[in-house]
Amino acid sequence: MSIDVKHLAKLARLRIEDDKLAKFEKDMESIVGMVEQLPDVSGDAWNLDPNHPMKLREDTEGTDKLPRAELLSNAPQMQAGCVVVPKTVE
Amino acid sequence: MELYEYSAHELSKMLSEKKCSSEELTKSVLNRAAATDEKVGAYLTICGDNALKKAREVDEKRSKENLHPLAGIPIGIKDNISTKGLLTTCASKMLYNYVPPFDAFVMNKVNGADMVVTGKLNMDEFAMGSSTENSYFKKTHNPHNLDCVPGGSSGGSAAAVAAGSAVISLGSDTGGSIRMPASYCGVVGLKPTYGSVSRYGLVAFASSLDQIGPMARNVTDTAMLYSVICGHDNMDSTSAEHEYPDFAANLNSDVNGLKIGIPAEYFGEGVDDSVKESVMNTVRELEKQGAEIVEISLPSTKYALNAYYIISSAEASSNLARFDGVKYGYRTENYENLIDMYEKTRSEGFGDEVKRRIMLGTFVLSSGFFDAYYKKAKLVALEIVKEFNAAFGKCDVIATPATPGTAFKLGENMGDPTKMYAADICTVTVNIAGLPAISVPCGKVNNMPVGLQFIGRKFSEQTLLNTALAVEELNGEAKPVNV
Repeated sequence: MSIDVKHLAKLARLRIEDDKLAKFEKDMESIVGMVEQLPDVSGDAWNLDPNHPMKLREDTEGTDKLPRAELLSNAPQMQAGCVVVPKTVE
Repeated sequence: MELYEYSAHELSKMLSEKKCSSEELTKSVLNRAAATDEKVGAYLTICGDNALKKAREVDEKRSKENLHPLAGIPIGIKDNISTKGLLTTCASKMLYNYVPPFDAFVMNKVNGADMVVTGKLNMDEFAMGSSTENSYFKKTHNPHNLDCVPGGSSGGSAAAVAAGSAVISLGSDTGGSIRMPASYCGVVGLKPTYGSVSRYGLVAFASSLDQIGPMARNVTDTAMLYSVICGHDNMDSTSAEHEYPDFAANLNSDVNGLKIGIPAEYFGEGVDDSVKESVMNTVRELEKQGAEIVEISLPSTKYALNAYYIISSAEASSNLARFDGVKYGYRTENYENLIDMYEKTRSEGFGDEVKRRIMLGTFVLSSGFFDAYYKKAKLVALEIVKEFNAAFGKCDVIATPATPGTAFKLGENMGDPTKMYAADICTVTVNIAGLPAISVPCGKVNNMPVGLQFIGRKFSEQTLLNTALAVEELNGEAKPVNV
């Protein structure tokens, strides 16, 4: 199957440089070629483990609060206690 | 004998009997790291000053109170486990400067036991790879042969323990990332039952498959460290509520009456004859001690790798969407608008293998392909679970090679991703089924270690550790390798 790497990259918010495009196309085609061989099985795919069911948390306020300054300390750009991003609304 | 050469269980005794101090031990391990790591490259960050400070605190504390058996023992941590105040990069440019403001659940446990963290260990970027060659920062070399890879993705965790630059370590396993490097480096690695160790603070790759686990030079140390990190955690909604025994105290290498399943599918094409032979010779030794060998069949194994790469890449593509240059990590220098910033940041921040997995995940989840790939893969996963359940009706543990061959040369598989993926063939089914499995050294082929994998029922870690101990008693505990 031929894979449209440019389109996939766009969906994934990636960019593949032109000089690498051919290599990525070849790799993606061989990977998809490998994984596409699957048998036809039917059934309900959304199996849960009945012995160890997941529980929903209580809808209460969390207890492990971190100070805002610490949480923001890793942001690449910050101003007045907020992260800064390029203008998104004209 | 230098202190770094001892095992954690020996050191535990020596520390409590005051035959050495944690400070002396930590110095010895740090010196060993300084002497070997230029060649091995296991560490991304060494925090020597912090480690020595902690060691002195533990020595001081020991004079006043009884401490945890692993108190004062140096440990290395895979660099995708969040350590408060200590760089956590996932071996990616994307997180080159990320310092977590919180500790992972396992780090709370490790710190609570007063263990001494010596540093953060190299890995494949975001745990995607089977050789640790996908690290953005450096290559790690196999201490048994520096021309060979240590395996991956927890290659640093395995190499450090093998070389003696860590006494024990933590790794993570999504498709074999603990067991495979353990096998290549001649150490023990346990991939616990899904849900038994909290994933809180583990940087997510494929959330339904990821599990943190212990690595050590012997089974007893592995059991001791597993006891520290298992347990329920409210912060991980997939964390299981379960009562765990004291694994080290209950260790027992008696295999009399144990039924060992041998699945033909794991001894077929693609697995080296010498590896099969090494594994089967060991199993026959256990048979002599009273274990019973049972032939079993796991026919869907042939689809496991395909299902694994579909499911794990699908989950990775959504998990890694968070890396966008806004809240943490790398941000591109020049950009025109928000989309431009996202695309440049991600293209410059991620390596090629991570990009391939994100694109594969995006592909299998995209409209028109979902039913043919993702849904089918989940159904295959269900078949794999059913086959394991049926097999465990006939046997207690399943024995397989941990890897289809021994460690390959650096660069050997880098040109062809599917060739690299094939190295995971013996391990991925375990993650798909959420089962526990252990890799234990069972001999050498061409001077390189071979790992024997035992797979067990959910929460049967004690049985796995006991069986692995029986293997270890045939060969003796591993010692740090000369580098």
